[in-house]
This record gives sequence, C-alpha cells and structure tokens, in this order.
Amino acid sequence: MRRWYVIGAPYLWLLLFFLVPFFIVFKISLSEIATAIPPYTPTVDLAEGWAGFKSFFSQLDFENYAFIFSDPLYVGAYWSSVKIAAVATFFTLLVAYPVAYGMARAPKDWQATLMMLVILPFWTSFLIRVYAWMGILKKEGLLNMFLMNMGVISEPLTILNTTTAVYIGIVYSYLPFMILPLYSSLEKIKPSLLEAAEDLGSPPWKAFWQVTFPLSLPGVFAGCLLVFIPAVGEFVIPDLLGGSDTLMIGKTLWSEFFNNRDWPVSSAVAVVLLLVLVIPIVLFQRMQQRQQEAAS
Amino acid sequence: MAANAPVAEAGAAKPASAAHKPAGRTPAPQSNFAPWKDPAKQPIVRFENVTKRFGDFIAIKNCSLDIYEREFFALLGPSGCGKSTLLRMLAGFEKPTEGRIIVGGKDITDLAPYERTDVNMMFQSYALFPHMSVEKNIGFGLRQDGMAKADIDVRVAEAMALLELEKFAARKPHQLSGGQQQRVALARAIAKKPRIMLLDEPLGALDKRLRQQAQFELMRIQETTGTTFIIVTHDQEEAMTVASRIAVMNHGELVHIATPGDIYEFPQSRYVAQFIGDVNVFEGKVTSIADGSVEIDWPAGGSSFTAAAVGGLSTGQQVWLAMRPEKVRISLSKPTAPCNTIPGKVIDVGYLGSISHYHVRVASGQTVTALRANSAQTVEQNIKWDDDVWLEWPYDAGMVLDK
Repeated sequence: MRRWYVIGAPYLWLLLFFLVPFFIVFKISLSEIATAIPPYTPTVDLAEGWAGFKSFFSQLDFENYAFIFSDPLYVGAYWSSVKIAAVATFFTLLVAYPVAYGMARAPKDWQATLMMLVILPFWTSFLIRVYAWMGILKKEGLLNMFLMNMGVISEPLTILNTTTAVYIGIVYSYLPFMILPLYSSLEKIKPSLLEAAEDLGSPPWKAFWQVTFPLSLPGVFAGCLLVFIPAVGEFVIPDLLGGSDTLMIGKTLWSEFFNNRDWPVSSAVAVVLLLVLVIPIVLFQRMQQRQQEAAS
Repeated sequence: MAANAPVAEAGAAKPASAAHKPAGRTPAPQSNFAPWKDPAKQPIVRFENVTKRFGDFIAIKNCSLDIYEREFFALLGPSGCGKSTLLRMLAGFEKPTEGRIIVGGKDITDLAPYERTDVNMMFQSYALFPHMSVEKNIGFGLRQDGMAKADIDVRVAEAMALLELEKFAARKPHQLSGGQQQRVALARAIAKKPRIMLLDEPLGALDKRLRQQAQFELMRIQETTGTTFIIVTHDQEEAMTVASRIAVMNHGELVHIATPGDIYEFPQSRYVAQFIGDVNVFEGKVTSIADGSVEIDWPAGGSSFTAAAVGGLSTGQQVWLAMRPEKVRISLSKPTAPCNTIPGKVIDVGYLGSISHYHVRVASGQTVTALRANSAQTVEQNIKWDDDVWLEWPYDAGMVLDK
C-alpha cells in the first residue's frame, strides 16, 4: 500500500500541474475567439446539464490548427525557431566542449570550484543578464567601443537586433546546461584509456576522436537536448536581442496572446510547439535508457 | 624453448644430492637459457643510469638494467617502490629526469608512446575501450598503423585464437568476466606483435585460482610468440612462477637481479631474503673463516653456527644468518649428525594439510619457523604445543648476509 503512495505522488503531481493545464490549453485551442471574458467560446454552462455538455463539445473544432498550418507566418516561425535553436545549440557545444574538457582534466581539488564558477551566473536574474548583453552589443556598446579603440574596426558593427545577437544570447544563457552533462561524461573517462590508445600507436589528437569523443556522446546528446528544447520556445532572448526580422515561435505566441488577444490561436501554437519538442524529448529518453542498459 | 623452467618448486625440499660439506657453493643452473651470462649478447632493453623525480620525490634512483631478447623479466617490489614508474618510462608515459633508455640499440628516451612501435603494454585495469567490441578492441592498434582491412582481420583472428576469444568477438567489454577481459587486454597488445610486451600487474584483479591459470597462460604465450615480456608485480609467487629473471626493487632502487632460484637460495640482503618467501634470521658475528666455511657466534642464543662462507667476510664482522623454514628440521630428540642445532619449545602448530608450520621459541626469545611435509597419512601430530624440540639444519643450508 505504501508503495503506491510513493509511486503515486509524482504521477499526481504530473496530473495536477501538467496534464490538467495541458487539457485546458488544448480545449481553448479548439475554441473560437470571442469578445468576452474569457475571450473565447464556447464555455460549459453547467446549469443546462447534459445538453450543455453536448452543445459545448459540438462547437469545438480544429479550425485553429488548420489556420496555423495554412498561414506561412506560423510555419515559417516554427521552422526558423528550430533552425536558430539548432545552430545556437551547435555553437554552444563548440564553446562548452573545451571548457568541460578542461574541467574534467583539471586537478581534482579544483574541479568543485570550476563547477561553482560555471553555475555562478544563475545567482543573477536571467532577465538582467540578457539586458546586460544589450549594453554590450549595441552600437555604442562595450564591444564596439573596445574594437574601435583597438583599431580592429572603424565603423561600429550592428549586432544588436540581429539574429547574431540571438545566437550570442542563447549560447551565453544556455552554456552551463551544456557544460555540466559534458563534464560529467568526460570526467568518467579513465586516463588509462587514452594511454592505451597512445600505446597502441594513436597520436593524442587521433585518440581524442577515437576514444574521448565517442565516450562523451551521452553527454553531448544530453547537453544538446537541454539547450535545444528550451531554445526553440525561447521568448526573452529574441525579444530583447533579436530584431523584427528574427522570427521565433515564442515571440509569435506572445504577440498572438497579448497583442491580438487571440487565446485559441495562441493555444494551438503552444500545443503544436509541444508536439515539435516531444520528438527530441522521446529521443533523449530512449538514449538514457540505452545508456542505463549499457551500464548495468 | 624452456625460457621459464618451472622454478616454483625451487623453494621445495633441497635435492638430496646437496652435500653436507659446506664448500663450493655455486648456483645450480635452472635452464640453459641465460643470455645475461653471455657477454657477446646485446640487450634488447637497456636502462642507462635512469633517475626519475616527481618534484622532491625520487621515484627511481640511478637505475641501470639490461634485459635480453625472449626473457620473461619480472620487476618485483612492494607498492610505491618504483617498479610501475620504470615500466611506464619504457612505454613512454613518463620521461626520465636523467639517463637514457635504449631499445634494440636505438635511444628512445625522447619518443612519445605512439612512436614506440617495439613496445606495447597491457594495463593493470586492462583499459579496454568500452565502446568497442572485443574484435574492434583487438584490432585498434593495427588500424592505427594503416594496415589493410583483410590483414587486420587475419591478425585479429590469430590473436583471438591464441587467447581462445573467438566466441566473444562481438561482445562489448562490460559483457565479459574479469578473466575474459584480461585475455582481451593481452590479445590487444599481442596483436601488434611488439618485440617487447609490458605487463603492469596483469593478473592483480583476478582471484587466486584464475591467477594461477593465467600465469601459465602468460608463459605459454610468451613461449609461442617468442616475445620479450616484462612484468610488474608485487606478488613474489607470481614472479617466481613466470620469470626467467627477477629484479627486486625497494625505494626506487634495484636491490637484486637474478633468476628466481638464485634470488630464493642466494639473496644478497636481508631485505630480499625477507621479501621473497619466509625466512628465519639470526644476528651474529663472524668468529673464524676457514676452508670455505664460517663460524658465527650467536650471542642472543648463547650458541654458534657453522655456515658456508661467502666472499667479502672478515673476522669480527656483523652478519645475519638466514634460514628458509623448509630447511629447518624439527625433532623431539637431539640430532647426532654434524649440523647446526638449537633447542626450543613449540608455541604454535599450523596444520595446512600438505605441510605443517611449527613456531618454536628459542633461547634468544625469537620465534623460529620450521616447515615439515606431511608425507605420512595421519592426522596425529607427533609434535605438539609446548613440546621441547630440537631444530637442526645442515651447515650449507643457511645464507650468510652482510647487509
């Protein structure tokens, strides 16, 4: 009996805080926009009993989904979000890998401190850190001033309000989520494996690609998903750092909800986004399962 | 060829032909294989005045060592004595602070590990690549050399056949038992056909039974491939079993290099005598030297011993007489034959089935161990606790040590 409480608790949590809200959003996505409070129709009239339910369900349809897929704006926003998130994830991996590698190879008594330094930015609000990047990247910002004073450039670069700024913002913000899983998989690789590779005739750079990298793949996958999934739906970074030409689904959702007050369409956008993200999450879980099987 | 005569029995009873007169002691040859005695032979491995420091710590102190082709050479010592460092310097993972390492007449001191094609190592923890199958692990070294795929397949199949691994070709290391992993590690290094195989505590992770099997397996492979093997071990029985020569190390120094038989029967110091097997040691002074025999006064026990003389002794010098327990006879009555005798009292009897240990307290207060083979089938022990007994050993059975 007690076992059921233990297993039941997380399921109850999921039910209350994920499935119930999801079904509310899903229901709204099947509704129609209306000038009312709440701003959609139909709503269930409990006073009418069973007939009320019947008329409620008969008014629900998938029109909003048809609309989303027929309008190139939404499809384009999904596609460009996935693209931006994928490119940003790749750059995050490029930056994070050497950092994680250095941490894993550092003397044991430094590693806790280095880990602390990686997590340290979380002590400051995410929003404030993204605002700080506006100060760095703008025309008369720190970066341009520095480069001009150094004589590298004569005209200030336009970085803020471009997709480049969004990449910089995502790479910076999500770096720890990439470093930590990479570090944990790199740290597990025994130095004797690299010695064995070298002993068998593999120069160090070759040994890296033959031994270190393949063994760090679980960390690479975990890190990429931890960055890619939230980056696809990212709103704050493209809103603050990106320009009007940076199309991301998070921004579309926001303007649909707050500017157009079209709850049904924005709900449909959210549900489709969830489905787009479920694919990598399932992949991730499969990957983890395989890893656990290999470890046991 | 019998590079490794089964010298494990060297510690057993002295052959009956060993005469009682303490003269003309020369080590009996264990086998015909002894390239170290041939001055014309060039060593395959030469350490020349090699010193290795880690900061202030001296891991290897001015070490010179020659190892010959087809030898099974054991580096033996307690943990931290520097034996692994010596091996790792040969593999290239550590650079000597001073001195040179020469392999096959070529100075390889400054070569990186992957450039040392004559040398391959089997690692203590096996260091198998967990993401590769047994087959891929064994072929790894060959792929680095850019060998053709068909040739690689042949060599891998050869190595797998040599170590009876064919059944496991497709398995990953984590699907293998410890003994199988050990064989894959050996096959992986052997597949490269190195001139010199380095083995760093290769059997340390195996249980005792498996270890004994694996020792004979190693000897078989060393003989069939004709490779020079250098093994690092802290297990003296293992070194005695497999090696053609043993180098005993202590605190970064080579204290004695000899065949297992010579090391056991003629150690050069108390350290070596005590490290290899059990030994009883009596401290005394030389009172006279004559006719190849030496008289030693044993003040602590109020008696004196006769032993075979060794070079470099002088009257009045402090020496230690070391006695292997199996050479000490124990009896209830005073022996009449001319030999060293001391009386004592049995304080402990250890019955091990094949043999019995007797711990005997003698006049000096020290405990002397005597071994006796239980050759008669009886559970009755005629010598029991608290019995007054006599210990005796032939004049030439003791080893006179001056350090």
